[in-house]
Amino acid sequence: MATRDAVLGYGAAGAVFLALWEAAPRLGWMDGRLLPPFSDVVAALGAMAATATFWQQVQLTLLETLTAFAIALPVGALLGVLVQESRFASLIFKPLIFFVFSIPKSIFLPIFILILGIAFWQKVAFGVFSTVFIVMMTTFSAVESVREDQLRVARSLDASTMQKILFVYLPSMTPVLLEAVRVAMIFNFTGILLAEMYASREGIGNAIGVWGLGFQIKELLAMVLFVSVLAISFNEAIRYLEAKCEHWRN
Amino acid sequence: MPRMTQATASIRKRHGTTMSVVGPDHPAADAGKTLDVRDLNHTYSVNGKTTQALQDIAFNVSAGRFISIVGPSGCGKSSLLMMLAGLLTPSEGRIAVGGRPLVKPDPTRVGVVFQDASLFPWLTARRNVEFPLFLRGVAKAVRREKAEEALALVGLERFADSLPHELSGGMKQRVSIARGLVQDPPILLMDEPFAALDEQTRITMGDELLRIWEKARKTIVFVTHGLSEAIYLSDEVLVLSGRPGRILDRVAIDLPRPRSLDMMAQPRFADLREAIWHMIKA
Repeated sequence: MATRDAVLGYGAAGAVFLALWEAAPRLGWMDGRLLPPFSDVVAALGAMAATATFWQQVQLTLLETLTAFAIALPVGALLGVLVQESRFASLIFKPLIFFVFSIPKSIFLPIFILILGIAFWQKVAFGVFSTVFIVMMTTFSAVESVREDQLRVARSLDASTMQKILFVYLPSMTPVLLEAVRVAMIFNFTGILLAEMYASREGIGNAIGVWGLGFQIKELLAMVLFVSVLAISFNEAIRYLEAKCEHWRN
Repeated sequence: MPRMTQATASIRKRHGTTMSVVGPDHPAADAGKTLDVRDLNHTYSVNGKTTQALQDIAFNVSAGRFISIVGPSGCGKSSLLMMLAGLLTPSEGRIAVGGRPLVKPDPTRVGVVFQDASLFPWLTARRNVEFPLFLRGVAKAVRREKAEEALALVGLERFADSLPHELSGGMKQRVSIARGLVQDPPILLMDEPFAALDEQTRITMGDELLRIWEKARKTIVFVTHGLSEAIYLSDEVLVLSGRPGRILDRVAIDLPRPRSLDMMAQPRFADLREAIWHMIKA
């Protein structure tokens, strides 16, 4: 079975990576202060997870992330559909959106701080700002993926607007929209963590920044590990849904 | 004419329960004609430039007839078919189906089969065929039964649970025909339905369509650019001129039925083809 081989392959690659991580500092190939062994990092993560502070930080960051996501996703998707469906709006706004998308969002972070301070809503606002453009752009292609001939069939069957949206637009767009969700979360999470690292008194990003400055590599890597697992899990869950919804595409 | 009376009765029967509005104020004089097109003109403008697409189109079709519309590219034959489907409003003129005007799509009176099968790829063949009934809120059990009947008619009952991408081009088009027939409309419109198929499949599908037509007893209006196809399938061929499309002639195809491929080699077939070709070319 190809999938079983693939899983074995991933497993083997992962095991080799972790073994190297464990061995390199222990055998003196790497400075143990810069790269503590994997087992030490896991132990540090275990110790952190036993503290209330850790979960407060995680909770805050996740709340910011999900709030930003809950705003950026519907707003981006709605704007995306409106712009794509109007010839005039497409003409005016599409190039602008592509321009803005190409600018690195991080350079606007100081402006967000000046306007909104460094508390919860500044993180959320920056998360939304980091995410909304990619959602809009993915929505453009989602709307484009709705085929004209299928809409014409619906019209020839005297379907109402609501029926067209529910039974033609939505199923057509679902695979691309799920991709939007997945990619948007990457942008969103990045935005939030960056904002926390840059100026904040709490949250995962702030913790990572502080540990970095304080040369607390073990704790830093423990948090990196935790965030990585979180991000990969979300990504893979959506990819699984994508594959399930996509069975009708060849 | 007994045939027409019978057709009228069957149309009345079909629609009498849901719509009993065929009253004196309706132009029901031609109710015997399943399809009646009068004084149809169509112009459209793009960037301020007005083009006449169709001019003085008038014809009618009796129940159960198979007619084809042929004409040079851009003569408006597909537009005409879209008007018959209620998908395009003509600038002038009137279209009546079963004695009642058709002003918007009505799949219970007119089924449409498009050039690309245009199935919904996320639905199985059965659910695609059920779709028109689903939109009208027909109960699931009834929907299923009707869809299965329609799929059996087109010979695809064994493929009911297949997704479109698992079907061949010809099979997809047969599902599309089943979808057009599932609400039992008196008229089936077909817009170059076999144009995207390879030659061999196209010929097989032609015979298959004639079999379905004979069994379902529908009126079929078939748009094509293939003259042989039009002659082979039809009782009558409506020949349109180049833009603006006008009716040049209605050619009765007096070849006996059932049709068979060796008829294409007969002199009568060649004569008809020649005559229509000359009209279009002129």
